[in-house]
Amino acid sequence: MSFEAEVISWLPQLRRYARALTGDRAWADDLVQDTAERALARWAAFRPNSNLRAWLLTILRHLYIDQLRGRREIAVDEESAPWRNLEAPQREVDGLVLRDLQRALYVLPLEQREVLLLVCVEELTYQEASQALGVPVGTVMSRLSRGREHLRVLLEGPATEPATGTAQGPARKPPLKVVRTPR
Amino acid sequence: MNHDHDASMPDGVDLRALSAFVDDELTPAERERIAALLAQHPQAAARVAAWRAQKAALRALCGAPLRDGTRHDVPNRAELPGHQASGAADEPAVIVLRPRTPWWRRAGLAACWLAVGAGLALALGPLAPRLTGGAWNGLGARAPAFAERADIAYAVYTPERRHPVEVAASEEEHLINWLSKRLNRPLSVPSLQEYGYTLVGGRLLPGETGPAAQFMYENRSGARLTLYVSGTARDETAFRLLRDGNRRTFYWISDGLGYALSGPIAEGKLRSIAVDVCSALGGKPEAWQ
Repeated sequence: MSFEAEVISWLPQLRRYARALTGDRAWADDLVQDTAERALARWAAFRPNSNLRAWLLTILRHLYIDQLRGRREIAVDEESAPWRNLEAPQREVDGLVLRDLQRALYVLPLEQREVLLLVCVEELTYQEASQALGVPVGTVMSRLSRGREHLRVLLEGPATEPATGTAQGPARKPPLKVVRTPR
Repeated sequence: MNHDHDASMPDGVDLRALSAFVDDELTPAERERIAALLAQHPQAAARVAAWRAQKAALRALCGAPLRDGTRHDVPNRAELPGHQASGAADEPAVIVLRPRTPWWRRAGLAACWLAVGAGLALALGPLAPRLTGGAWNGLGARAPAFAERADIAYAVYTPERRHPVEVAASEEEHLINWLSKRLNRPLSVPSLQEYGYTLVGGRLLPGETGPAAQFMYENRSGARLTLYVSGTARDETAFRLLRDGNRRTFYWISDGLGYALSGPIAEGKLRSIAVDVCSALGGKPEAWQ
């Protein structure tokens, strides 16, 4: 398979990843376009026997981080927040649950979000993720477990502690009153 | 917030290992150990279950094909028809490749243009005053004092309705004699009838090196031009333009006298009047045309 064809064959997955990462369809499409363009222009920089997907993901990530600097406001403003633009697919899992998950996903810091998406959704091995993110495997593991916990806490609250009212509920929401229902 | 070591987890279990267990990234021995541990500690087992659910939910959210945990290293495009929604169906089918020139070529091109620019500047620099109708004074050059005085005198006296001049045009002969005497050389007043301007009169002003004369002209609609004449220490023959707001002053030096024609009219028109005035006063406008 030629280099070009190989790059192209990864595009659907790059697009899926970019959409999940940015939460913005148009932005993601632009990112993938830019990534493919850059990859094809810099094919000489790619070492033949290394992992093409990790290389592409690295390019995409750098572009994303660059562009993110120019779009700081996105993560802040609730009205234009990414999860409003991304439609949760309604399937086996309840749509509402997915919507919550989506919201929580974009509350995560980028470092945790990207590693979660790469490993859980894109099914990269830890080795590949470490390549794509440019960090050691140990860091991938720590970020991943922290990201998982963070996401879980955002969605459920810390299940292992008794609910004391001051628990960390979903972040960036006004504090909620906990009203216990008698059982 | 440090989730690496959770107090609620039994000793010997860190979350990283549980996480790696979920992703099937452990060595067989480690996997055995964690599996045994999960059987004993329901809390750890619950955590693993929660994370597995989370993983499945993330995949559902992102439209990844559902699989039973097996890894595929081959790219697969929407292999399940049910996942078209966010899959291949609405994806742009093309990647546009904009031609990219290597940096050295762009740098080379930039250098070439720079050289061309510098060459042009060198070649055309001396011609600039001519090309721009005298508007370009060269780098950092200032208009001579008499031109600035002429410009100011225009601004001061032309708004005057009742006393625009000291001696009116009705006494033209007296006016010319008087000013010739004060400037100590014979003056003449060119006619601008051709352009619709008639002489209003003139006045004596303090100039750069002594007395200066200002002649004022007016057309039917009341627009005014002034011709300013003054002795000057400078000796150059160039014909130039001074811009000040909407006022334009063309000035030149001829035979030891500085002349300046000022008015708020179009540059081209003022220029052609100035050329006429210059030749009427014995100058050589051909020299700078």
